[in-house]
Amino acid sequence: MKKIVFSLLLFTVLFNCKNTKEDNGKLNIVTTTTMITDLVSNVGGDKINIQGLMGSGVDPHLYKASEGDVSKLANADMIFYGGLHLEGKLVEVFEKMRHQNIKTIAVSDALDQSRLISSESFTGNYDPHIWFNVDYWIQITQYVAESLSEANPENKAFYEANAKTYLEKLLVLKENLQATIETLPQDKRILVTAHDAFNYFGKAFGFEVVGLQGLSTATEAGVQDVQKLAAFIIDKQVKAIFVESSVPKRTIEALQAAVISKKHDVAIGGTLYSDALGNAGTLEGTYIGMFEYNVNTIVDALK
Amino acid sequence: MNNAQLEIQLIASLVAIACAIPGTFLVLRKMAMISDAISHSILPGLVIGFFITQDLNSPLLILFAALTGVITVVLVERIQKTGLVKEDTAIGLVFPVLFSIGVILIAKNANDIHLDIDAVLLGELAFAPFDRIYLGQTDMGPKSLWVIGTILLITIGLLFAFFKELKLSTFDAGLSASLGFSPVLIHYGLMTVTSVTTVGAFDAVGAILVVALMIAPAASAYLLTTDLKKMLGLAVSFGVFSAISGYWLAHWLDASIAGSITTMLGLLFLVIYLFAPSKGLIAVIYREKQQRTEVSLLTFLLHLKNHTEENERHVNHLQEHINWQKVRAKTVLDLALKNNMILIDNDIVSLTQKGDEFTSKAIDYIITNEDAQIEDMKDDFFLFRG
Repeated sequence: MKKIVFSLLLFTVLFNCKNTKEDNGKLNIVTTTTMITDLVSNVGGDKINIQGLMGSGVDPHLYKASEGDVSKLANADMIFYGGLHLEGKLVEVFEKMRHQNIKTIAVSDALDQSRLISSESFTGNYDPHIWFNVDYWIQITQYVAESLSEANPENKAFYEANAKTYLEKLLVLKENLQATIETLPQDKRILVTAHDAFNYFGKAFGFEVVGLQGLSTATEAGVQDVQKLAAFIIDKQVKAIFVESSVPKRTIEALQAAVISKKHDVAIGGTLYSDALGNAGTLEGTYIGMFEYNVNTIVDALK
Repeated sequence: MNNAQLEIQLIASLVAIACAIPGTFLVLRKMAMISDAISHSILPGLVIGFFITQDLNSPLLILFAALTGVITVVLVERIQKTGLVKEDTAIGLVFPVLFSIGVILIAKNANDIHLDIDAVLLGELAFAPFDRIYLGQTDMGPKSLWVIGTILLITIGLLFAFFKELKLSTFDAGLSASLGFSPVLIHYGLMTVTSVTTVGAFDAVGAILVVALMIAPAASAYLLTTDLKKMLGLAVSFGVFSAISGYWLAHWLDASIAGSITTMLGLLFLVIYLFAPSKGLIAVIYREKQQRTEVSLLTFLLHLKNHTEENERHVNHLQEHINWQKVRAKTVLDLALKNNMILIDNDIVSLTQKGDEFTSKAIDYIITNEDAQIEDMKDDFFLFRG
């Protein structure tokens, strides 16, 4: 009996004799969603170590921490996150971490609250999908460059130069998107998606946006929501509706079935990237590539 | 390994110890399911406590939650005492109702605080090191470590103070009552400790892991020993072992920590269930096989004693007559030969003197059927084993 206890404890002690920590003088930066990871690595370049918590296709509302995230967070010098409840419970953790020697920065702080879309049901809650307005993303890029420069003044010029290059790219992106959308007649600009992720996009580019689920993907769509939306689609003669990469297909397929059952036709226009970018290394794995892909998909399907 | 990893393992281990102690008594009292019920029904207590204090860190929350835990037990017993339904049904009736009240209270009044159902049931061990206590500027360590450490100290204190009473009321409530200890008081004491532990641990590790840590180590220990002190010791070490090895499983797989610890608990129980020396599945199968051979041997010896004629005692005939298969017949024959019970001469089997005496004794025992003698008989059989 004592032997068993002893050997079990010995085993657990031995198990712990591993050591992992790397430090090469660069800032250790942790980011949450893939959009923020993409932005911060564009500004920080090779002067920072960057680790994203959420991979492509991960829904930030429903993200669950794994063991590897503990070390990432514990070794971080700075953390960039979306805020506005985008990361759920994690936001509270980040707020608590401000007491420690870790700088946690909500990128949404860069924006004036009056420019945010507030939620209808709860005052003080805002739509967190701010990356779908390129102007906001430009402001955030500047904010990220300032924050990095503050934490690491030696590389200030480097961060500012990177931010400038990236801002130019974002301005080109904005023009390109505008040009693509101009080809779509005004009355066809209706975007139906799985959850309310595209409100900023709609406001910026003149789309009417309807989401089947609410702001958070944690809420479920009711039968009534599906029926109402199906009637809306038929009424406005919407040609296509869209799946999102981080939300299961079935809700949108249910909506399609509801429309078809009323003897009308609606296509699934493709998969849009809403809360996460595509796989790293692909074109859709960057913010710019994702945005171009989304707009092309939308315009092609609705034409 | 960094500090955060060390702290997580420390918190997980302390939770494991704090859970294994009440868990052992719950398993022995056949009340394992009550911990599941408590872990759910504390929710309304937490919510009401939050409404009163407006502070998620208030100790009053733990008190209120523990109170709803005890209310659960009282309700379960009231329903059970009506005699209309059994205990498991009563548990199934009470805790979903209380849990739903909690869910409705949250949905109606507290949608934007982190007291959501996910947090109650799953918790998040990974974030525990980042929620720290500060005394002025000094870092006093993670909050969960203090909460669970305090609960553990109280639990251990109570265990030492009331060990005798707990033991007696667990194994013989009637005797305990007649000796002047109140089994009811001990019962509610145990339930309060269970509730407080569940509440203290839920924020750090989540209710599912709490239930697993209460039941699985105690159930595993139960298969290995019949001594209460040993069972407590084993349950505690199994809990700590699973907590730490589960953590490293999560590290290796880069997966959820609570999920990996629960997986380790399940695996540990499976291994012990299969290989435990006397209660394990393999031991039981082996024993049954041996008993079957022993019965066959006895049947065979009785047959020999009943028949003096040679054709009944021919080796080949035995197979047909007792309807044994070849392999089994050979096993029995070999066993009898090895123990000098029989002689084989020209394929004719006959009893030796030893075999004859043994068989007479066996018949005698079967006829008189006295327990004490049967016990002796078992000892005789042990001689033949192997």
